[in-house]
Amino acid sequence: MATMTASVVTDRSRNRIRSRAASNLVERLQTYAFYVPIALVFVVLFAIPFGQSVYYSFTNLAGLSPEYHFVGLANYVRVFTDPSLLSGLVFTLFFAIATTVLITCLALPLAVILNRKFFGQRFVRAMYFFPAIPSIAILALVWQFILSPLASGALNTLLHDLFGIGPVPWLSDPTLAQISVVVVGVWSLTGWHAVLYLAYLQSIPGDYYEVARIDGASSSQQFRYITLPMLAPAITVSTLLLMTSGLNVYALPQNLTSGGPGFATYTITQNIVISGISEGQYGQASALGVVFMIAVGVVIVLQLMLSRRLQRS
Amino acid sequence: MRLIRLRASVITSLIMIPLACLVGLPFYYIAVNTFKTQADMSVNPFGLPKSFTWDNYVSLFSNFPVLQIFGNTVYVTVVSVALMVLTGSMAAFAMIYRRSKVSIIIGGVLLGAFLVPYQTTIIPLYKMVVAAGAVNTLEGLIAIYLAGAVFCYFIIVGYMRTVPFEVIEAARIDGANPFRIYWSIVLPLIRPVLITVSVFQVMWVWNDYITPTIFISSPEKDTLVLLASQAVSQFTINWPAFMAVAVIVLIPMLIFFIFMQRYIVDGLVNGSVKG
Repeated sequence: MATMTASVVTDRSRNRIRSRAASNLVERLQTYAFYVPIALVFVVLFAIPFGQSVYYSFTNLAGLSPEYHFVGLANYVRVFTDPSLLSGLVFTLFFAIATTVLITCLALPLAVILNRKFFGQRFVRAMYFFPAIPSIAILALVWQFILSPLASGALNTLLHDLFGIGPVPWLSDPTLAQISVVVVGVWSLTGWHAVLYLAYLQSIPGDYYEVARIDGASSSQQFRYITLPMLAPAITVSTLLLMTSGLNVYALPQNLTSGGPGFATYTITQNIVISGISEGQYGQASALGVVFMIAVGVVIVLQLMLSRRLQRS
Repeated sequence: MRLIRLRASVITSLIMIPLACLVGLPFYYIAVNTFKTQADMSVNPFGLPKSFTWDNYVSLFSNFPVLQIFGNTVYVTVVSVALMVLTGSMAAFAMIYRRSKVSIIIGGVLLGAFLVPYQTTIIPLYKMVVAAGAVNTLEGLIAIYLAGAVFCYFIIVGYMRTVPFEVIEAARIDGANPFRIYWSIVLPLIRPVLITVSVFQVMWVWNDYITPTIFISSPEKDTLVLLASQAVSQFTINWPAFMAVAVIVLIPMLIFFIFMQRYIVDGLVNGSVKG
């Protein structure tokens, strides 16, 4: 009798264990089902095209001809020797660094001012922030009219009426065109990054300033020894965002200057789109895409190392 | 003391308000010139119109299928953002719900995907879309935008780590299956991050320039951003007509900004802290 009960009990618990294992398996499979969509996205939109891009970059695949062969590193050599490819690389780097430095230098003090209470504060904040909201492609097209090098361009008309200055070749002189692209970039993103800093500023406890004031610290000392160190993580985030978006720049110069005059404002992305899509130079453009990825990776790593070192000191 | 503070506030206002107006000047320039004639705009770019005209808006609506293009943009944005948020949140849920070797591998692989820039995959993607016959279709665009699911995954998984796990565990003991837990417990719990990430992805898709310029070639499949860049070549001399296009394209963004400003700022703070 006793042994029977025991065996029934073990049978039952065995069944329970078995059913729990089965439900565990079912649950595990159900959980895996949640990965199916992202796995599809990863395979179709990342893994396959990335593999193909690396593969193409070592071939001379071009146009509609199905025939191609390996060319080794020839495409990579051309990235660093072809003048149009090289100028795209140089201007992209220049744009990324210039906008990062300028926007950071403007957005930090702007955030400090916006953190004060003054009449019209909400209006001012929204006005600075808004240029980051619409597509930069459209804003660049509008700036094209404002900065038009013709005498009828808006800025040139204004300068003529106010100061009698002749038409300035804003977008037709290589250096001025490069500066113009950077200025429009700074205009569009400074407010956005100021608001980012503002959010961090508002989390600094007011007591810190209270104590500093009692100790007789001037407002510039307060900025140097309280605000700036407390903002260090925000600076890391903001400059990282600026560098990556700067390296990715495409819509702005494409719509403001079309990369001109000459190749003065040509960018890497524009190069990839033109040589890879319009001209069908798949091999060459893929090599540029791979170089671009490595460049972005190197810049990000360098920047993180730099900001970590700065934060420690 | 109070007087000094008041004076400082007045000085700040006196400096900041004109500066803000200067930053906003291009928007005034766009709007005011839509009511001018061509000749008026070229001699008087910043002044008020000498004679008020609606002609630029009339010529805009007669030259372009504006309503259809607006509809295209809404369709592409809504469908692609809904799908990418669903895909990203499902993966984030599975990652939290059941940690295993598989989930660790998937997490690592997705981090890798996050680091691959668009420029590196764009050419094979283009060839793929052409081969699938989806070039110049709105569905082709949507498919490409689904790559944004990886970004959604990262933002959502970061937020989910802050959600108390006990709720999920309790539902699990009560016998709810993962689908039920995901849909009726987790999704409502993570509503704030779903809104934030959707707002950011809507801004990306709505404003995107590079994808439609590559994949769309006929006017009736345009998005609003493409409309603007085509209008500029069509209206090379007729500047006021282009400004009318810009106004039509900017108004939805202005409305979006007014209603979503709070979420954008929240996302800037939370997304960047966690990302």
